[in-house]
Amino acid sequence: MSVPFDEMRNRLGADTTGSTIDPIARRDFMKLLGASLALAGVDGCTRMPASNIHPYVHQPELTPGIAQHYATVMAVDGYATGLLVESHEGRPTKIEGNPDHPASLGATGVLEQASVLQLYDPDRARRIRHDAASASWDALAALLGPESLASRAGARGGGLALLLAPTSSPLEEEVLHRVLERYPDAHLCFYAPLMPALPAHVTQWSVGDADVILAVDTDFLASGPFHLRHARAFAGRRRPESAPGGMNRLYVVESSISVTGMGADHRHAVRPRDISSLLERLLAAIAGESRPSSPDDQWLNVVAADLRAHAGRSLVIAGPLTPPAVQTLALAINQALGNIDRTIWFTRSPLAGAGGSNPSLSSIADRMRGGDITTLICAGVNASYASEGRMELGAAIRRVPEAVYLGLYEDETARDCHWIVPAAHYLESWGDARAYDGTLSVVQPLIEPLAGGRTLVELLSLLLGDAHVSPYDLLRDTWRARGDLARRHAFEDDWRDVLRRGLLPGSGFPRESAPPSPSPIAAAMPATAPFDVVFRPHPRVRDGAFANSGWLQELPDPVTTVTWENVAQVSAATAQRLALTTGDLVDIRVEGRSVQLPAVVVGGHADDTATITFGHGRTGAESVARGAGANVYPLWPGDRFSRDVTVSRASGSRQLAITQPHRSLDGSAAVQSIDAGAHAVARPDTARPLPLYRAPSTGDTPSRLQWAMTIDLSACTGCGACMVACQAENNVPVVGRDQVLLGREMHWLRIDWYAQPDAATTPQPMLCQHCEAAPCEYVCPVEATVHSQDGLNEMVYNRCVGTRFCSNNCPYKVRRFNWFDFNAGGGSERLVRNPDVTVRERGVMEKCTFCVQRIREAEIHARAEGQALRGSEVQTACEQACPTQAILFGSLDERDSAMMHARVSERAYAVLDELGTVPRVRYLARVRNPNPALESRA
Amino acid sequence: MSAQVLVAPPDLPVTTAGDREIVEAVLAPLRTTPPLWWVLFAICAAGTVLWLGAVVYTVAAGIGVWGNNIPVAWAFAIVNFVWWIGIGHAGTFISAFLMLLNQPWRAAVSRIAESMTLIAVAIAGTFPLLHLGRPWFFYWLTPYPSTMGVWPNFKSALAWDVAAVVSYFIVSTTFFYLGAIPDLALARDGLQGRRRRQVYGVFALGWNGAGTQWRRRRAALKIIAGIVAALVVSVHSIVSLDFSIAQLAGWHSTNLPPYFVIGAVYSGVAMVLVLVVPIRRLYRLESIITLDHLDKLARLLLTIGLLLTYCYVVEFVIASRSSDPLERTTYLQHWPFGYFGWLFWLMLVFNVGTPQLLWSARLRRTPAVLAGAGVAILAGMWLERFIIVVASLAQGALPSSWFAYRPTWVDWSILAGSLSLFGLVFLLFLRFVPAAATDELRRDRFERAARVQR
Repeated sequence: MSVPFDEMRNRLGADTTGSTIDPIARRDFMKLLGASLALAGVDGCTRMPASNIHPYVHQPELTPGIAQHYATVMAVDGYATGLLVESHEGRPTKIEGNPDHPASLGATGVLEQASVLQLYDPDRARRIRHDAASASWDALAALLGPESLASRAGARGGGLALLLAPTSSPLEEEVLHRVLERYPDAHLCFYAPLMPALPAHVTQWSVGDADVILAVDTDFLASGPFHLRHARAFAGRRRPESAPGGMNRLYVVESSISVTGMGADHRHAVRPRDISSLLERLLAAIAGESRPSSPDDQWLNVVAADLRAHAGRSLVIAGPLTPPAVQTLALAINQALGNIDRTIWFTRSPLAGAGGSNPSLSSIADRMRGGDITTLICAGVNASYASEGRMELGAAIRRVPEAVYLGLYEDETARDCHWIVPAAHYLESWGDARAYDGTLSVVQPLIEPLAGGRTLVELLSLLLGDAHVSPYDLLRDTWRARGDLARRHAFEDDWRDVLRRGLLPGSGFPRESAPPSPSPIAAAMPATAPFDVVFRPHPRVRDGAFANSGWLQELPDPVTTVTWENVAQVSAATAQRLALTTGDLVDIRVEGRSVQLPAVVVGGHADDTATITFGHGRTGAESVARGAGANVYPLWPGDRFSRDVTVSRASGSRQLAITQPHRSLDGSAAVQSIDAGAHAVARPDTARPLPLYRAPSTGDTPSRLQWAMTIDLSACTGCGACMVACQAENNVPVVGRDQVLLGREMHWLRIDWYAQPDAATTPQPMLCQHCEAAPCEYVCPVEATVHSQDGLNEMVYNRCVGTRFCSNNCPYKVRRFNWFDFNAGGGSERLVRNPDVTVRERGVMEKCTFCVQRIREAEIHARAEGQALRGSEVQTACEQACPTQAILFGSLDERDSAMMHARVSERAYAVLDELGTVPRVRYLARVRNPNPALESRA
Repeated sequence: MSAQVLVAPPDLPVTTAGDREIVEAVLAPLRTTPPLWWVLFAICAAGTVLWLGAVVYTVAAGIGVWGNNIPVAWAFAIVNFVWWIGIGHAGTFISAFLMLLNQPWRAAVSRIAESMTLIAVAIAGTFPLLHLGRPWFFYWLTPYPSTMGVWPNFKSALAWDVAAVVSYFIVSTTFFYLGAIPDLALARDGLQGRRRRQVYGVFALGWNGAGTQWRRRRAALKIIAGIVAALVVSVHSIVSLDFSIAQLAGWHSTNLPPYFVIGAVYSGVAMVLVLVVPIRRLYRLESIITLDHLDKLARLLLTIGLLLTYCYVVEFVIASRSSDPLERTTYLQHWPFGYFGWLFWLMLVFNVGTPQLLWSARLRRTPAVLAGAGVAILAGMWLERFIIVVASLAQGALPSSWFAYRPTWVDWSILAGSLSLFGLVFLLFLRFVPAAATDELRRDRFERAARVQR
């Protein structure tokens, strides 16, 4: 939409009255021309928030072309992670971690990285709807206003139910408090499928202080609150050169395979129902009363001895989805080891309603079925989809006369509700949230709601009769009223400081040393059953809330590298018993409900157990998620163990979009690992093959910084954050399941997994190695890939004709080809593209550039400042996102940088060194720290 | 060069027809069209439409309509290219090499072989073009004076490839045309109808059979034969360099140039047999292309087959002694037992097994067997290129990137369509160009008669 010239002039306030000769001075004319051109281009897509927001770096004037960063937080299941969001001319394009925030420490996970794509998702709900018709906010206000609500749900709100996602927001808590004050009989239920309970206290771990860690059925390094922090601390103890107190040792007991389990020094696969008895015996062994009764006991005794030897410096972590008995046992073991208040302590839960009597979802469902509920407000959780099948929550919601759903999408729950209100994305909202340790942050918007989305606070305010509340004002009022801020300075100064920092310093909750009283161990586990099914969140799309993200759907599952769907993982022995191979369909039946899933046979899985994941099989109005995988929620028995499980081979099979079919090293030295014998570092591989070619002559001393990277395989967990970060930074397209099946995924950075016979599965981030003697360069007939003076292997898209010889000659196979015009078309999701990076057309090759746009930006900035650029000032996207700082980038001449220290480490090696490619990327061998007592047995 | 040497030894095959019969037999296809010709033409035309459709679809939509992937970025198109270029070797080999070696029996099949060469090379040339991600910029591979001041990368074998194939095509065309001029004049003089005579007259370039014309033409033919014989060796050597300059195990081998040239001639001779056997039936040319001629071609095929077998042995012995573990596993594991292992063994059966039939004199003189052997060897040579190109790429240096390859219907359509296009153009050639070199056949007869008289 273009703007009439006169109006534009008025908007800009151009003062033309002083000019006597020309009504519009030449300079003004040019200014207006430029402004109208610029505005004509951006008017439809960028909306600036009307209220003040404050950049992280003090930068009052907005220069077009220079990105700004704003601090905000994203909450998952209520727990906030601090972020810095990159914004180009008012358009958020990239998420980074906030180094000051305890949940981030500068890193991000896959969900945070992918959330910016969700903002621009064209499938987002776009209008308030009452059944099929569009409706207005005022109509909704009339419906939920005090008079109407009181007449329908009773004056005390007995017919009102609020079904909400867990929240740590003091603002939302305050508004909820007011709602409950007015409607004391209203039913408030916090529900998240992956959060079975809302205990008053949460457990905090100091992973970095633990010498020996036993992780029980938990993926604490790659999911859950504070996983970024835990991964950082864990990796700090995996680098033998620098680990304070030496390397730690990780034991993992789990049924299915997790990222954490794949990195364990010793991993023990047990059926889920055997975990609690195993922990009981471990507790007994630690207490000294060894009861040898099972073949596991030797393993247990060794682990018990190791834990006991590190009493007070050990840690037993039980996963959030394990039965209460397991959690209690884990706590008891920690107590027996004297770990409480050393590696493990407790704080108040930051979640609203924690420790209170949160009604169960099924009780709400019963009330809805019984007709007691006349008004339902459901917000932030797709409950119809993400709930136990036997509850039949969707049918129950449909019984509610006035059900209002506040959600990002018109999903399954939206279909069951009469009213749909598009929710504001967190990048569009004012609000607040607490981190897992209680640290308080402001949710700061970067853009006006694109689809007129509303926040929960706005919706709840309708119940209080306030139809046009300003979340910004309300937020400031609650903060001002609470008085957290105004202790030192004027409120306004402190407020700005919080916005700039992204958190309120010192707002974390204090330790509460008294452990919550252990609940009695319920031996409710049936001793035997022919088969177990483990329900897990999908490692990428989680509980299904992120299922409409192409970035996440195409991000390979770390265990199977399957994309775009969910599978049933079984062990090789079980597969043999059921006579199935990878891709065969299995019929999984739990208590009369069944689902068919393709099986994937994985090594290291517990026998007679199948792992299936939530998050797929979506049927809402989300085009990306629809048709991907099968929904396993109908089978889910909640947090119980079901006796009635059958798993059988179904007829047929399915071709799976697996990105890495071959997971064994097959004699390749691509991944090297060494044992930390007495914490001494050995040469990674003395039997390394001699180079087949002479090293190329180095030539003259380089005149520019020489860029290089190191990747520490000992620190890398394989979480995949780098892959999404790269995709977001470099406009890497999503190609879809059909193209992944054909082997055409476009990731510039991928994670290779190698299952080593003697060790765990090792992840290896693989990207363009920027070889000094690059095999791709000399074979290109048109010189479309060339070497830069600063050591980058450059890809000249404009010159590329697409012979693909470069890819054939790349031994690392990191080059990607635009088989189709993958970037053509598209809706609002195109707005997520980084304007600093070329969008590639059909028929050209592309690959990792070492984030050349960031390098050049830093160079320009340094030149403008008149200072020399230091290599460590440039961060690539993958490096910046990495939770464990496994990826380090810098220049070869900066001898004292962390990257160069790693590069000259004895663990450093080049992949396929013998080919003489002289890669600029060096890997650091993985260091294992196995227990000698268990090694001999293996 | 003494006259003695020019005279062929008595055991060489000889055309049994007389002068008049030779001319009549060669001009007959230009006069009448057998019904079977129309049937074949219709089939080939339909296949060509399929080819055209698949080509247009590929250019419009992108290379993604093929089955190629990362790591198998080259597949059918490159396999087809190398295969067709290989087929395009036999014509020139038979004509030029045998001409230089004074083997007059070649005259019976040289025209067919040469035209096959031209069509095959032209079809081969379509594949690298189609195969580009952005085919509309194909000319960037040629050294033209660009305003941007950029040149092709002369380090890349792909840039040499363009030059090699184009020059081979130009020289082969010249050789073919120069050889055909007297027969075009014969058609001009022997056919009815004004328009026909005008057209053949233009192409005959005023040939009147004067002694100077014969002498100069023969000198020119000898010179071009010398050039084209060198090109036969160079063009497929350079095609092989597309692979051997790469570091990829399975490609990176100094064996490839001779190995490729031998394989090329092998498939070319096989194609000649596949074409000659039905043509002599269709046009009743049994008296011109005799069983003796077929026997000669079969012996040639057997010899080259043994040479190729030797190449295979050398290749695997060298690979098994390599200090590069990747090379060892590629040749000794991935090719024979990898994703495409069964194709590897099928290839060996076709390429090494088939020619062993030709030890039998009886089979060598059974046209149907020869045509069948030709088809098997053509299939085997296609599979050989498939193994080299696809199997090497599919299982490369990093096991994480191993990925199989599966062609799509577009891949198959372009392969089948290219065969149809070949058939279509070849049928038109048979219809409009004299199919044998009458002058050389007659000369051969004359020289034999002279020898007998002496």
